[in-house]
Amino acid sequence: MGNFFSSMFDRLWGVNKELRILILGLDGAGKTTILYRLQIGEVVTTKPTIGFNVETLVYKNLKLNVWDLGGQTSIRPYWRCYYSNTAAVIFVVDSTDKDRMATASKELHMMLQEEELQDAALLVFANKQDQPGALGASEVSKQLSLVELKDRSWSIVASSAIKGEGVSEGLDWLIDVVREEQL
Amino acid sequence: MEKKLKKLLQNATRVAPKISKKGELFELRNGLVSPYPQTRKDAIKKTIQQMTLGKDVSSLFPDILKNIAASDVEQKKLVYLYVMNYAETHPELCILAVNTFVSDAQDTNPLVRCMAIRTMSMIRVDKILEYVEIPLRKTLQDENPYVRKTAVICVAKLFALNKELCQELGVLEDLISALEDSNPMVVANTIAALSDIYESDPTVVQLPLLIQKHVSQFLLALNECTEWARIVILGALAEYTARDSIEAEEIIDRVTPHLQHVNAAVVLASIKVLIKNLPLIQANAESPIFSKISSALVSLMSTPPEMQYVALRNIRIILQKYPQLLTRELRIFYVKFNDPLYVKLEKIDILVRLVDPSNLKQCTLLVAELKEYALEFEPEFVSRAILALSQLAVKYSETKFVRKVLDIIVELCKTRDSFQDDCLVAMCNLLRHTGSGEEDMVAQVCSLAQAWGSVDSLLQTDYAKCNYIWLLGQFPARFNNIQQKIHNFLDSFTQEESLTQISLLITVVRLHTSLPGSLLQELLNLATTSTNEVDVRDMAIMYWRCLSLEGSNDDLINQLCNSSLPEIATTLDTFSPELLETLLRELSLLSSVYYKPVATMTKFNANRNDSLKGKHLDELKFMARDEIIKNMNEDHLLDFDDDSNSAINASAANGSTLNDLNDLFDFTPAQQASPEQRPVEESMHKLSLHKNEPSQEHSKSSNTQDLLDLF
Repeated sequence: MGNFFSSMFDRLWGVNKELRILILGLDGAGKTTILYRLQIGEVVTTKPTIGFNVETLVYKNLKLNVWDLGGQTSIRPYWRCYYSNTAAVIFVVDSTDKDRMATASKELHMMLQEEELQDAALLVFANKQDQPGALGASEVSKQLSLVELKDRSWSIVASSAIKGEGVSEGLDWLIDVVREEQL
Repeated sequence: MEKKLKKLLQNATRVAPKISKKGELFELRNGLVSPYPQTRKDAIKKTIQQMTLGKDVSSLFPDILKNIAASDVEQKKLVYLYVMNYAETHPELCILAVNTFVSDAQDTNPLVRCMAIRTMSMIRVDKILEYVEIPLRKTLQDENPYVRKTAVICVAKLFALNKELCQELGVLEDLISALEDSNPMVVANTIAALSDIYESDPTVVQLPLLIQKHVSQFLLALNECTEWARIVILGALAEYTARDSIEAEEIIDRVTPHLQHVNAAVVLASIKVLIKNLPLIQANAESPIFSKISSALVSLMSTPPEMQYVALRNIRIILQKYPQLLTRELRIFYVKFNDPLYVKLEKIDILVRLVDPSNLKQCTLLVAELKEYALEFEPEFVSRAILALSQLAVKYSETKFVRKVLDIIVELCKTRDSFQDDCLVAMCNLLRHTGSGEEDMVAQVCSLAQAWGSVDSLLQTDYAKCNYIWLLGQFPARFNNIQQKIHNFLDSFTQEESLTQISLLITVVRLHTSLPGSLLQELLNLATTSTNEVDVRDMAIMYWRCLSLEGSNDDLINQLCNSSLPEIATTLDTFSPELLETLLRELSLLSSVYYKPVATMTKFNANRNDSLKGKHLDELKFMARDEIIKNMNEDHLLDFDDDSNSAINASAANGSTLNDLNDLFDFTPAQQASPEQRPVEESMHKLSLHKNEPSQEHSKSSNTQDLLDLF
């Protein structure tokens, strides 16, 4: 009974509601590093994620449930298991990996076609800007054909998870959009 | 704003997942991906509920898995429970949990660490096992003993799932070093894990050597650990043979206090260790250690009936090794009115074994007690009591006593209906013991049997019929109209079981001079043509051959007809010495309840079928020989009471089968065989030749070749 009431109050005031945010991208793009940069504000040493990491963080009075899914080819098919009830997707691209830009584009567009993600906002991080030879945000945007996206709030931000540049700016934008559209 | 309000109200009204038309699974799935933590947890609980009810909720696997990474231990536990149950149905999705498993294995909460490593090593998914190395190694070195003990067990699980991987990772070395752990629980679990591994593959670890090295640690750990761990450690100690009497003495001193433990399994395990070490210290019968064992066994008699049963079965084994052990405690084993039947039967058995044959008072008391039992109403119990009376009389052996018991049995036979079978068997046992010297006893039994009208309807069991016919053959002068009686049995010959058939054969041959020849002829015909029992047929053929041999064979026939069997000394069955030793080593295991060594129960039977294929004739020969020797031991065991094949006869008969087997395989005796025997030998060879001919085309083995050369 206690649960009944507490969950009813939760719903009435919208407290305790969690926003689901997915962090996707090819393997080695820096998803886990971004997640923990957001969570604890530090760089952690990571291993390839087999499966997923999930962390809950409070940002601007919102409870975010951030899912970092493994990007290896073998795990990508299982992304779809996580699409339902997702408020936003953060797509991370390794800006130095010019060869796989096309693959990243393909995965991105395929994902966005999913019905469950029609209302989700999209934030793209052009990551690893600290590395020499990294493509700029506009170049990445062109390669991913982001301009073709219709009916979707999207943005691209140049970032470096290692140095912590651009990450919080991107999240700020995302939260604003989500607050506007979905709450 | 309106939109927001609407959404809010909608959320507020849907509190708990309800059963909608779309079905339960749909609702549960919605609940599992809900943005509200509490709703998700409720949905997980509901899912587990469905799972335990036996409904298939495996399709929710990916959604449940999403909830595995929670800080809430309760929720984590539920999810792990689900994953354990359904991992095999979704092996490919399990990989999504790997990351969580690995990070949980480094959680600050030891319970979570245990859960992660335990689950990882138990779900049968190869992909998971690839990632088990680092967490396993870490948890093996964990600071928390509970985690270490779990990790140790996980090594054994991993070994069972993937032996090669386990060896490759080298965690077995870690396991062995865990024997030195400061925590007794860890040591006990390590021993359990090592014994499991040793059992499945003795080449991987040198368990006996390891036990030998760590005996002192085990003895120290023994006092500080749980019941389960104690049993495991005691089991390991029982495997160890002490170097000298001093060490044996130390082990005995350390283990003796555990005889007083409340847990019956600990008590039995302690007794096992003591019995293993007792021969080394040459304790005499007066030694206090025996009285301690004895009182420990007595204390087991106040446990629930199921445990009593196990204890009684074990006592039966121990008694054969140390018959003097419980003689003073006879009273404990008296049957109580509310004992279940299986306990009653075992108790009677123990009572007869326990009673001291030199103590007349005790024996007389027991006879009175058994007589009481024979007046109860449960048929099996009464049968066993009647049998026990005869066993006791044979054990005590003095004529006056036997006569008294016989009077009781005769009395029972007259007063109690439907126990004629058992009474007859018991009486015949007594007669076999006293021999035919005691005229009055013979007369008493025979006049009773003579008075029975239609014997074949009165006696139900094969055994009783067999005894009745034996009685006819042994004392023909005391029966009227014996021809008619035998004829009655002959009419139903084909429906009788083998013991009756054999007994009939023996009796008719024995009496063939006084019976009309047609009777013998008819019986031999029946026995050779219309029975499926090989033994009966062989025996009939043998008799027929003997009776129809050319020339004067009066000697032989005389020997056949008038030989008298040796008097039986005991009707109690005993284990063969080898079996006894094995069973004493396996005390308190399941094998001690079945009286079958572990080796014969599972593995051997499972392997035997495979091993038969692809063996050469030579190997098969040895296997067959072993089998017969083994069966011989079992026969000793099964000889509950004596009929025509007493223990001696049984072994002789088995010996002859062994010889037959040798004859079958060895071809040399053919040349040395006496002229009369030659036809038999030759026909046998022809038989085997025929059998071999078809196979000759496939494989011209050297054996067939030899056979062909012979002819």
